[in-house]
Amino acid sequence: MNENLALSDETLLSIEKPERYIGNEVNCVMKDKEKVDIRFAFCFPDVYEIGMSHLGIQILYGMFNSYEDVWCERVYSPWMDMDAVMRSQNIPLFALESQDKVKDFDFLGFTLQYEMCYTNILQILDLSGIPFKTADRTWEDPIVIGGGPCTYNPEPIADFFDIFYIGEGETRYRELFDLYKKAKNDGISRQDFLHMVAKIPGMYVPSLYDVKYKEDGTILSMDPVYPDVPRTVYKEMCLDLSKEFYPTKPVVPYIKVTQDRVVLEIMRGCIRGCRFCQAGQLYKPLREKDVDYLKKISLESLKNTGYEEISLSSLSSSDYSKLPELLDFLIESCNEKKINISLPSLRIDAFSLDVMSKVQDVKKSSLTFAPEAGTQRMRDVINKGLTEEDILRGSEQAFLGGWNKVKLYFMLGLPGETDDDILGIGDIANKIAVRYFETVPKEKRNGRTIDIVASTSFFVPKPFTPFQWARMNTKEEFLDKANKTRKGIMAQLNQKHIKYNWHEADASMMEGIFARGDRKLNDVILKAYQKGCIFDAWSEYFDFGKWMETFEECGIDPFFYTTRERADDEIFPWDILNCGVTKEFLLREWKNSIKGTPSTNCRKGCLGCGAASYGVGVCKEGKINE
Amino acid sequence: MNKLRLKFSKNGPIKFIGHLDVMRYFQKAIRRADIDIKYSEGFSPHQVLSFAQPLSVGATSDGEYLDMTVNSMVSTQDIMYRLNSVMNEGIKILAITELKEGEDKAMTLSYAARYCLQLRKSADFPDWTYKMEEYLKGDHLPAMKKTKSGEKEIDMKQMLFDYTFDHENSSVDMLLSMSSKETLKPALLFEYFYKSLDKEFDTKFLDIHRIDIYKSGEDQKGTYIEPFITDDINKRIYLNG
Repeated sequence: MNENLALSDETLLSIEKPERYIGNEVNCVMKDKEKVDIRFAFCFPDVYEIGMSHLGIQILYGMFNSYEDVWCERVYSPWMDMDAVMRSQNIPLFALESQDKVKDFDFLGFTLQYEMCYTNILQILDLSGIPFKTADRTWEDPIVIGGGPCTYNPEPIADFFDIFYIGEGETRYRELFDLYKKAKNDGISRQDFLHMVAKIPGMYVPSLYDVKYKEDGTILSMDPVYPDVPRTVYKEMCLDLSKEFYPTKPVVPYIKVTQDRVVLEIMRGCIRGCRFCQAGQLYKPLREKDVDYLKKISLESLKNTGYEEISLSSLSSSDYSKLPELLDFLIESCNEKKINISLPSLRIDAFSLDVMSKVQDVKKSSLTFAPEAGTQRMRDVINKGLTEEDILRGSEQAFLGGWNKVKLYFMLGLPGETDDDILGIGDIANKIAVRYFETVPKEKRNGRTIDIVASTSFFVPKPFTPFQWARMNTKEEFLDKANKTRKGIMAQLNQKHIKYNWHEADASMMEGIFARGDRKLNDVILKAYQKGCIFDAWSEYFDFGKWMETFEECGIDPFFYTTRERADDEIFPWDILNCGVTKEFLLREWKNSIKGTPSTNCRKGCLGCGAASYGVGVCKEGKINE
Repeated sequence: MNKLRLKFSKNGPIKFIGHLDVMRYFQKAIRRADIDIKYSEGFSPHQVLSFAQPLSVGATSDGEYLDMTVNSMVSTQDIMYRLNSVMNEGIKILAITELKEGEDKAMTLSYAARYCLQLRKSADFPDWTYKMEEYLKGDHLPAMKKTKSGEKEIDMKQMLFDYTFDHENSSVDMLLSMSSKETLKPALLFEYFYKSLDKEFDTKFLDIHRIDIYKSGEDQKGTYIEPFITDDINKRIYLNG
């Protein structure tokens, strides 16, 4: 127990949820700081409840702490009330376990899960007393390293980081730590250390690359400043996930957090190849974990945490080949211990409905479909292999099984979208309602009726997807489309049974700017932070006006990043990185999408994306003939 | 099936964990300890735990109580051992007793609580114990207490069973009413003590440590109160003389 908290009792009693700042949770790791060589502060730059829900930190936290010479601790963004107290009382930011100042750590690692957390990175640096820019740091400061999906285009925040780790964290940290220890021992400069780091596979040291621009603002060249620094940084990837570290003693928070359960990652990667999806490309190829290994891990995790729920995690759980065996095992072992099983991202079919009826209260739970687009034409454009018939057949089976709530997810603003595609959303929702009334006769409805919720989000083109060339819609276009969707739903016969939700357009635009942004955005982000932008992922704090004002002051046109058409041969800011799929493949898929031609999935045939070069996972399996 | 009453302490940083989260903490600890606890019926069964009295956030305690029912057990000692081996350092099971058939819940039985109270440095009030001792000498200590339906006037003197000041350490040991009928929170007493001096009280000034919770009983000497779990008959405090 660490009784020496960084904050006084009075402070903790005057802020919301003091539990966010006191550490000491079940399974948190305490070490003797005198007996370790490396102290690592691992930060999820958002509030505790969000950050504690993230699996990635739990994996690396457990792995780092399994090293005798390393002590890894956690840091989250102080909420606005705490932020104000820390600034007014000059309290430096501290890590939860030791409650020691972050500034005194050897490493400060950030996991970058979404673009809207960028100003929160600056908050963490600011409250820690670490200079914002890598160029201004000395050995007095921790090495600032970033990982996670946003590092696949880290250019908008490149100035703030010493290193980006590209790919899966399990593989190269040991090497980095050893190099760090040696560098400290040999007394070499921080600059020389970073130069050496750049030669470790997967390590992108942005300060060692010189970016030149053309007159039109696009990139002319990105060159390493030293000849021995690699021109391209390749992503790191685990070849056999069943042999990697997995945390069976994750830290269990006291307060309720977003993901408050055991998370069992069953595989990485996805065979589906939806053209809008970044994760689908970044984690290729699909690699399953061994089912016996998963059984063992799940029991250990439940035993060590005491959680009352376990959730399977993957991009598309139905594609896990041993899913029936795993679920049978879990249902049996969880039932006797009254443990709930949650099954996100399952395809709705007879098998999954059968499983769901065993683990959920049918009356309370709802079915989720993500058709993503309203017409088959558009679903072919985005390569979403879900047909209207799939949805209606799945719904029918579910209605017979007693379900009557359906959730539908769509995107607006997809490339080449027409009014027909938009109106198709109302159409498909209506057809589901019709199918309900046809399937369930009045006398069997028991006073219940069909309840459909359709939600749309605005499409944001992401790097390393076939849509990285696509033009993003403007806010006006988005809102016009949301309006048309709403009218389309209102015009349906069963509109009373359909509820429609849509997202904010302003936040989508910001996400679009950062997602495909370049280094010129570093100054905008810093300036926006200094003007008070923070917690941009939270609608109550997101200030779009302030952001637009900052763009103007910096003389940068935000639409350059969103609505601009990109040429096939444009050099993208993220071309310095290689995520395993080739640009040729992505371009081929982009052209297929314009033609409305769908592509097959990795189990049925190989599209030659480039990921086969890893020689593992689905790339090595035999193909199923169509 | 056995009904058990657990006594536990709550010290250190865990004092900032609120009542509902302590409940969630126990539910997980009981699973970690593999205790054959009884679950409620229904589609989503849950453990039935019942706490004697919630403890306010920021307060520590050496005498909290929790009732639970198990389907089977080796012994109360075994349960105590299993729980303590999966507990965080701040929470410790101090004792477990088995309840008699039909015995009321701790919540229903609780009658009083003993506290050790101090003022934090931020209160900046070094000689408060002397002043408070004076204040408590009044025949009546009227206060307005917030209730569900509004406010009502109470006499805190009636709810103050016993107290001893330790001037040297600037602390007071107090036995205050805490039952389903009437509860006197230490903060309310301090608020009116401050008022009597024309001073503004802030609940953050008060450092609360609960020593134990008492239930009431009767024997040939009259009505007494004693800690929920005790073997020591000498710890009985007789009310009304």
